[in-house]
Amino acid sequence: MLDEFLEILIKTVVILAIPLGSIPLILQMERRGAAWIQKRVGPNRVGPYGLFQPLADVFKFLFKEEVVPSHVKKFFYIIAPILSLLMALLPLAGLPLCAPFFIGDQKVYPEVFRSGLGIFYVFAATALGPYGILLAGWASNNKFSMLGALRACAQMISYELAISTTIVAIFFIYGSSDLHVMVEKQNESLYGIIPAWGVFLQPVGCVLFLVGIFAESNRLPFDLAEGESELVAGYHVEYSSMKFALFYMAEYVHMIILSTLFVTIFFGGYGLLPGMGFVVENLPSSIYFLQAISLISKVAIMMWFFVWVRWSIPRFRYDQLMNLGWKTLLPIGLVNLLVTVIVIYLRSN
Amino acid sequence: MSLFPFVVFSVISLSIGLVLILISNILGTKPKTKRLHDIYESGMDPVGSATKRYDIKFYLTAILFLLFDVEIVFLFPWALSYQSSSIKPLMLAEFVFFMFVLIVGYLFVLLSKSLDWEE
Repeated sequence: MLDEFLEILIKTVVILAIPLGSIPLILQMERRGAAWIQKRVGPNRVGPYGLFQPLADVFKFLFKEEVVPSHVKKFFYIIAPILSLLMALLPLAGLPLCAPFFIGDQKVYPEVFRSGLGIFYVFAATALGPYGILLAGWASNNKFSMLGALRACAQMISYELAISTTIVAIFFIYGSSDLHVMVEKQNESLYGIIPAWGVFLQPVGCVLFLVGIFAESNRLPFDLAEGESELVAGYHVEYSSMKFALFYMAEYVHMIILSTLFVTIFFGGYGLLPGMGFVVENLPSSIYFLQAISLISKVAIMMWFFVWVRWSIPRFRYDQLMNLGWKTLLPIGLVNLLVTVIVIYLRSN
Repeated sequence: MSLFPFVVFSVISLSIGLVLILISNILGTKPKTKRLHDIYESGMDPVGSATKRYDIKFYLTAILFLLFDVEIVFLFPWALSYQSSSIKPLMLAEFVFFMFVLIVGYLFVLLSKSLDWEE
């Protein structure tokens, strides 16, 4: 019992520490990346190359004056950022960092919470995202917040449909909802040359999913929830100090989780990167560590992609956003599903 | 399959947010003026309440999402059990019929202009 508890505790700490610890790095990468794309200098004063800037920000947030405006619904106003972060962190419990390994003769799974439903748990937990935002917008009792929250929710649920249709097609191809099985099948090779990654088996679904995760995490070009020119900052306009920081953390954790899911389904997940096979041959015990490194580097490339897109593509208008979600992506998703099923049926005969 | 790991994970995640807010509450400077607690507006007193009526489109979107999401959820068990089934032609026919109904429903929603946002 104590052993089991210790195992859960270690896994929880590791799984939580990796994304939360990398948020400062991602923030710095985003600022310097933005500066680089726009030919500016960017933050470069605190520490070497401005690397300690996020650390300075954390201290600033901690010592900031705590403002609770007089017109808000106080209880909900205070719990909204905490719940936001909680709901952003929950899907992490179901994401695998490496393949299941053995300690002695006991099989240990890297996920904290291994449910028999596999990816369904991750999806159910990701879908809780809008609740924190809606609660914050409503509790702030401000028109900007309320409109921002309504917009964010409508947008997040609209693009979830496109993602769901892709997931059905993916289940159909892999025949399982378990992420470990999906990664195993992607490690085989296609025609002997290219890896059997989801992106080659389901290219249309991959694009749909990619657009979907941008909309789900409220990032440019879909950050209508906080269109600065119209809503100032959207649902967190009344928040300051650490409460604002919690919303920020929740947004970045959400991005990391969706990227991990995307990479696991379409880009081989924790499957080893090319060149790592040589190390494993000489040092077989390092394979789980290398798998984690592979997954983290793939997610890091995705995070750079988020920054790249953010500073390259301007924001959509709201009706364009909803039209894209409902009138373009959803029909494409349904047709893609239909075509996938029929092609696989014909090939198996 | 126990829910115990999930409970431990949630409690630790929840406590991260709580502890951070508590620390900033203790360390942060205390407010000095009352004006800081006013509503965020462009220098004027706001007109009307914030929880007034909003566009019905948001409500409609949520209802439509619910309908389509439930229909897609119906497809999950089908997709997972297809590979191991022995009656594949029948399952395919069922799927095509289901998709036909879904697409007809989608066309109805499209033609009823429930998805049009521009005025």
